Formats: sequence, C-alpha cells, structure tokens
Amino acid sequence: MKRKAVYPFTAIVGQEEMKLALILNVINPSLGGVLIKGEKGTAKSTAVRALAALLPAMQAAKGCRYHCNPALPNLLCDECRKKLSDAGSLATEEIQMRVIELPVSATEDRVVGTLDIEMAIQQGRKRFEPGILADANRNILYVDEINLLEDHIVDVLLDSAAMGVNTVEREGVSYAHPARFVLVGTMNPEEGDIRPQLLDRFALSVTVVGEHEPANRVEVIQRRLSYEKDADAFCTSYASAQQKLAQQITAAQAMLDTVTIPDEQVAKVAAMAIELGVDGHRADITVIKTALTHAAFFGRQEVSVEDLKAAAHLALPHRMRRRPFEDGELDWSQVESLLV
Amino acid sequence: MMERFYYPFTALVGMEQAKQALLIALVNPRAGGLLLSGPKGTAKSTLVRSAAVLTKTGQLAELPLGATEDMVFGSIDLEAALATGTKQLRSGVLFRAAETILYMDEVNLLRSDFLTAVLDSAANGFFELQRDGICYREDVSYTPVGTMNPEEGTLSSAMLDRFGLFVSLEDEMDANARVEVVKRVLDFERTGEEFWAVYAEQERELAEKIANARACLPSVEASEAILELVAQYCARAYCRGNRADLYLLEAARAIAALAARSYIMPQDVEQAAMFVLPHRMGQPPQQQAPAADDSETDTGQDENSDDSSDESPDAPEENAPGQSEDDSQPEKDADDEPENDADEDAEESAAPPLEGENQDSGDDQTEDAAGDMEQVFAALENMPVPPMSIENHFEHQKREGSGKRSLTRTDSRLGRYVRAELPRGHRGLDLAFDATLRAAAPYQRSRSGKQAVIICPEDYRSRVREKHIGANIIFLVDASGSMGAQARMKTVKGVILSLLKEAYQKRDRVGLIAFRRDKAEVLLPVTRSVDLAEKLLRDLPTGGKTPLAEGLESTLQMLYGLDRRDKGQQTVVVLITDGRANATYDQDDPVVRALQAAEKFSRTPALSVVLDTETDFLKLGIAPQIARKMGASYYTLRRLSAERVLRIVKSMQA
Repeated sequence: MKRKAVYPFTAIVGQEEMKLALILNVINPSLGGVLIKGEKGTAKSTAVRALAALLPAMQAAKGCRYHCNPALPNLLCDECRKKLSDAGSLATEEIQMRVIELPVSATEDRVVGTLDIEMAIQQGRKRFEPGILADANRNILYVDEINLLEDHIVDVLLDSAAMGVNTVEREGVSYAHPARFVLVGTMNPEEGDIRPQLLDRFALSVTVVGEHEPANRVEVIQRRLSYEKDADAFCTSYASAQQKLAQQITAAQAMLDTVTIPDEQVAKVAAMAIELGVDGHRADITVIKTALTHAAFFGRQEVSVEDLKAAAHLALPHRMRRRPFEDGELDWSQVESLLV
Repeated sequence: MMERFYYPFTALVGMEQAKQALLIALVNPRAGGLLLSGPKGTAKSTLVRSAAVLTKTGQLAELPLGATEDMVFGSIDLEAALATGTKQLRSGVLFRAAETILYMDEVNLLRSDFLTAVLDSAANGFFELQRDGICYREDVSYTPVGTMNPEEGTLSSAMLDRFGLFVSLEDEMDANARVEVVKRVLDFERTGEEFWAVYAEQERELAEKIANARACLPSVEASEAILELVAQYCARAYCRGNRADLYLLEAARAIAALAARSYIMPQDVEQAAMFVLPHRMGQPPQQQAPAADDSETDTGQDENSDDSSDESPDAPEENAPGQSEDDSQPEKDADDEPENDADEDAEESAAPPLEGENQDSGDDQTEDAAGDMEQVFAALENMPVPPMSIENHFEHQKREGSGKRSLTRTDSRLGRYVRAELPRGHRGLDLAFDATLRAAAPYQRSRSGKQAVIICPEDYRSRVREKHIGANIIFLVDASGSMGAQARMKTVKGVILSLLKEAYQKRDRVGLIAFRRDKAEVLLPVTRSVDLAEKLLRDLPTGGKTPLAEGLESTLQMLYGLDRRDKGQQTVVVLITDGRANATYDQDDPVVRALQAAEKFSRTPALSVVLDTETDFLKLGIAPQIARKMGASYYTLRRLSAERVLRIVKSMQA
C-alpha cells in the first residue's frame, strides 16, 4: 500500500513559535527538545510528523543498532568502541534523521529494551534486544500526550534524557547504550500536568492556540481540503518552500559551532535568571544555546538582542516557579528590559 | 558497561559543600554515603557522575529506577545453567558496584525495599539472600550516593537517617558564578576533549589526593577527647540511635585523612557535623509533649501567622529568623499535634536553653570546641530543611512503609515489572520470560528437543508489577453567607493548588464542591490539572444560605461516579463547614436531612474528615454529629490555614 504523502511543514498556517522551536531543535539537537502545549486540533502532531521531511542526513556507524556518531568517539556504544579499537576506524553510512514515536501505551520493556527471548530460547544465549530508546538515539523522540505517560516510563525517559545513556538493569540483562534524543512532547494541559522534573528537561516550550483570524481559519481549511483531494500534487506545490527551508537548516547547522555570543550578553542572561528566580542553571544554558541556534538559523555570526529575546520567549515560560494564586504568566516587558 | 564521558569534577563552579561531602564519602565508605538534595538543574547528577574518575575503579555503578529485583541482588546465571546444568550465581548491582560509588539518581523515587537493602548492605558490608533456589551471601564495598529533587517526593526520616552525609544544594545567586557555569558548559559541549585537557592536571592531582587519603585513613586515630566531642555533638542534636555518632566519627576521620593527618582535630568534627547532622536532628525531649486527643479543640493563638497558601511542607524553606520565638511555647493544636514536622524540628531545637554547655567533659580540647559547637548548630539551623516526608510523623498511619508513592500491586499488565513469582493459575499469564528461562535452565540436560531451551509449564514464572495509584481528594466547602466564607474558599483554593502541584509525584486528583444558596455546585471536577484548577477556581462565588444536605448528596454522587470509573482508588472527602444547615431545596428540616445524607457516607469506602470552623460563642454542635454519622475524623479549627488543611489531608491519605 502506498503511503499518503505527509502534509508539508511549510504548508502549516501560522503557529510560528511552534515551527521555530521545532526547527531550532533540528538545527541543534543538543538543545533538548520542545514541549508543545495546546488544545486538540491545533496541528501539534501534524507539525511534528511533518518535521520528518526536513530532517537532515547524518553520518552513522555502519550497522550500529544505535546509529552511533563516528565523529564523537566518546559517545560510542560498546560494540562501536570495540570495532574502533580493533580496526582503528569505523565504517560509516549516511542515514536520515528520523522521528521515532513513543506511544503512551508502550510498556517499559519496549521502551528501554529487554532480553532477546528468541535468542535465549533457540541458542541459549543472552542478548540485549534494543527498545525505542535505542531507535531514538540521535533522532527525535516524539511522545504525543506526554502528560498521560505512566510514571515509570517517565522515570526511564528522564534517566536517559539526563545523561544521554540508557542504563538497563532488568530481566537478566545488564546493559547501557547511548540514547541522546530530541524529546518532543505534546500535551493538552487540561488533561493533567507533567512532572516538574520532566518539564525541566524540555529546552523549549510553546503554547499553541487555534487560529482566531477568520481569514486564517479559511486558509487552514482550504489547504487541508486540497491536501485531502490530491496529496501528491499538494506536496509538489510546496516542494520549493520545503527545499528552501531544508537548505536553511543545513546551512545553520554548518555555521552553528562558529556563532559567538558577547560576554555582556551572557551576563545579562545570568542576571535575568536570578531576577526571575528560576531553578538551577538549565534556564541560562538553554537561553544561550537557543540564542546561538536562532542566530545561526538567521545566518548571524554573533548573537543579537533579538536572538536573546526570541530564545527567552521559548526557553523561559515553563521554568518559572509557580505558586498558588499566580497564573504563571510572564511579564514580557520586564523580561525584555532585562535583556536589552 | 559502556564507558562514559563525564564533565570534569574540578570544572564544576562552586558547590563547595557538596564537593567536600562527596570527597569524604569517597575516601571513607564507612561514613555512610551521601544524599544530595536540591532543585532541578543544580548539577546534582553532574557532580556525582563527574566523581567517577575519582573512584578506585574509575567508573560508577548505577541503580536505575527501572531495575528489577534479580538485577539488584543477583540471580541464577542463565548461560552457565544452560551450559553446565548447575545453579550458579550471577551477581547483582550491589556486588558489581565493588569499590566504587553506587549511584541512585532520583533516589526518592526508588522502591524503598531496594533503598533499604542498598543502604543497610553498605553499612553491614555484606548482604545475604535466598532466592531462585540458591542462597548466598556476598561481601559488598560500595559507597551509596543518592540525588533527589524534593519537589518530586520526599524520603521518610528512617531512610534519611540511613544516609551518613547530607547536603542541600541551592540555586546559585551570584551572577558571575552563573556566567562561569554557562561558559564552561558550552565550552565542554563544543570542545569536549580539549576542555578536559584543561582540567586534566587538576583532576589527576585530586585523584591522587583521594588515593593518599584512602591509604592514610586506616591510621587515623580518634582520641578519647574526640570521641567525647562526637558524642556531645550527637547528644546536642538529639539524634536517635548511635548511627549518628559512628557516621560523624568516620566522616571526621576522612576529613583528617584528606588533610593528610593521622589524628582528628575538633574542627574536623565540626566540619563533619555540617554533613552528618542536618538530616537527623531530633527534638529535645521536653518538646515531645504527650499527644492530645484528635477531637480536642484548638486552643491558644496560632503559630505562624503568615498566610501559608504558598507554603508546601515538603519544600525546603528557610526559617525566618524571627519565628522561633513564637514557637517556643509548647502549644498543642488539635490538628497538628501528633506531627513533629521537620520545619519545626529546626525551629524548636533553637528554643530551649542550651544544655550542652553544662555537660562538658572538662577536657581542654573539647572545652574549646564547645563554643564552636554552638556556632555549628546556629549554622545548622539556618540550613534548608531536609526533605522529610511528614506522613511518617503521624501516629495513626496504616499503610506499611512503601514510601511516598503508594505502590500497589496490579494484576493488569500495566505498571513496573519488579520481580517474578510462581504463577497463580495460568489464565492470562503475564509471563516473566527471564525468570522462566532461569527456572528452566538447570534442567536442560535432562530435556531434549529442537530448541536450545525446553520450557515446561512448571518453569513458568509470572511478573509481579507495581503501579502507583493516587487518591481522589474531594473538598466539600461551605460557601454560604456566614462570615469567613470568602476566606474559607480562598484557603481551600490554595490547598487544592498545592495538592495538585504535588500530584505529579502522588498521582492524586482533587475536586471541589461548594454549597450555598439552595444548591451544591461542582466547582472543580476531580482532576489532576493545575491549569484547569486555576482556570475554574478563578472566581469563587460565596454568600447565601447553607444547604449542607445538598452538598453531601452531591458529593455522594461524585463518589459513586468515581467508584464506577476507577475501582479500588482511595477517596478522601474533606468537609469544611461551621455545621450550620439552614436550607434545603424542599421544606424538610435541613439538619435532619443533612444527618441522613451524612449517614450514607459511612457505607462508602471513602475516608472522610470534617473540619469544623464554628466560632460562635454558643456552639450549635451540628458538625460533630455530622462527622459521627459520616464515620469521619473530626477537627475543630478556630482559624483555617492552608497549611493545616494540607497536613490533615496528608494524614488522611497515609
């Protein structure tokens, strides 16, 4: 059966913050993901799935179950490390970065991996059978309705997200493998919140609301209809926009490591973090990394105030300490005045 | 195990206390390991993991939250059993962590039986187990180190007491330090190896220092005077049991060893006390007045008069300096008497005149130290309160200590797989493959077939899964015109939001029904969402008459609905009223109808509690009758505060 072409990312009307947050994470996977909050039917899932088409190719160790990055010998899995030390080099292949979905109903053994039963029964040998976290290494891990995920699954996600390593001590298997992923979660806040520890793991958060502008609503429907009618033709009409965006992402990736940030801007961010009373250092680090990535996306060699503002908008809302009687809304003019 | 690339220990900015404590723990495992508590993002895990290179083996052993029992303690070696037909032991994490740190991230979420085993075995130096048809005893030699975010749950005082050392991390408030942190982290991420190279020399020196300290440790002697000083410290801190003395002495020995001395000085004990005592400070005996009866009326003035809506008892909060005076008079409230909440431990121990001074041994060295001791205790009292769970202080606790998250065995296939057992009936068997294979392995020589492993029905083992089940908490609040309805509703809103913020860890759901005018209104359907609660509770209408019976009926309807949806979930009903019932939708006697409705509660599995806010000089005394009919606990509160309601609710859940 031929699969229907995926709805193009560039054909999504509005939702600029969400699109920007997703793109920044593609450019710089070390950011650490994005949490998309919003009601049903606000194109959250569509956007994440559409992202797949824009994902760049990457070099990976050939045949590796975790698609290890040959450029980072410190992060290799055991097998690749052994190959490297035995042969002196690793065979590589080019693969596509992917979106891996973690369904809310997934069981823990499928997520972290487990004992390979077939191997055990047929050959009497113990082997680790990788799970979703293995697939997710260097990819995007997408959890729809992440607030409904079971506690013990959240625990293992947190564990891996923290160190980029999935440590398994279960069912007779003792194993560890790299699991660095871009965590993308969507949730409807009215169905319950997510744990603060997990919330903090998301670099960025955006809140999406349905389009209120009648003209935009019409546009949404029209595009949807023409996509339903002839998906291929619809996608073709967006091909050049898609290509342009993909190139912009690749270019940004290439220059990311050379983008700089003036010291006084780092100081401003630190002062802002103290002023706003955020927990820990992740807020500062994320704002700056996001600003660097944002600058790269727009082809700037040095972080500007605009980049910082955009980064603060994406990285801060979910890091504010909330107390009863406060609705957790940020006073943006205050935040921005701290950055200028 | 996969090799890891960690951030260099010496590149961590600040965190001096935590670093020092970690070094002590590394040098002397007999100091009881370390617990680091702090908000998210304060580099707790980074710190512990960066210490890997400083251990004897150069690697950490980790105990992940998802570990199964066989992997923690050890089990039959599957491959050996297949190859030789004999039962051989494959050691678990406890044994494999030999000579290094056994790291438990989010230790407050770890199963308490694992945590107990980890901490006790470390203290004993061995563990003994009988399982899977083999019995064994293994010597262990690891240093347990746990990190936790108190926002996610607390530990019982018994668990806290098992950790030798404790450090509470706080947010860095120095802008320059923050800038430095950010710069180094970005540098590390961009350049990795080069970044390491900068710190390589410092790392090497530190590793050497630790190795020397370890070598020096056995020769560090404790003089009689030092032993007495240690005992004085522990007595002054009202520590229960003798663990504290031992840990304090061992920590002081490690500090001496780190300073390359073969004798302990008073300041070593002083420094060690900052790590050993904060989480095990007890209450002075005279403060532990006999418990009053539950139904006793609130007397006296209130303790802390601040509106505690933003106060969550679990959150480490610094005690405002002025508070200790108010608390010094032992004042017993009906609602919070059985509790000796950690907050107050710290406060109250400041209050009595210091006795330690009179108990001096007369020894020169310790006499000098006595003055310093008070400085240490002054510092200790200013430290954030350790993350202790308050439930465990309540006497009427029913459930056995399965920790903060109440874990319940589930028969559905959801939940975490913790261990395997012989199946009870084969229908819908949730087969534990690993355990089944292990059970079958030793008999393979006598069985024949095409596969390497032949499994017979008698080998079957099923999975035991556990799942956290939260409680439903329904507030039924009098919003009628009597004075104070506004304040009452506002307080309850504060309680609800606090509970919901904790609900991440407890999976609790909260609902609110208010009654006023001629009807009861569901203001908040039972939910786990803070957002929804904030939205729905923005306006709190009050005023009008008091249709208590309608409120009770409406709550019953909610209870029945919940029961249909989720069998087996615990529900707590909290009725806050002044016991006036002066309206019904029909013309019946409102009090009689309310009592009739109340009686139906006694036939539901829900637990209930009545908080009576009647303040009139002439009491009508209806609320106690309602409570009796409901089979509810009953408290009178002259002044309703969010904190008190929270405590009562928590005690109900325990």
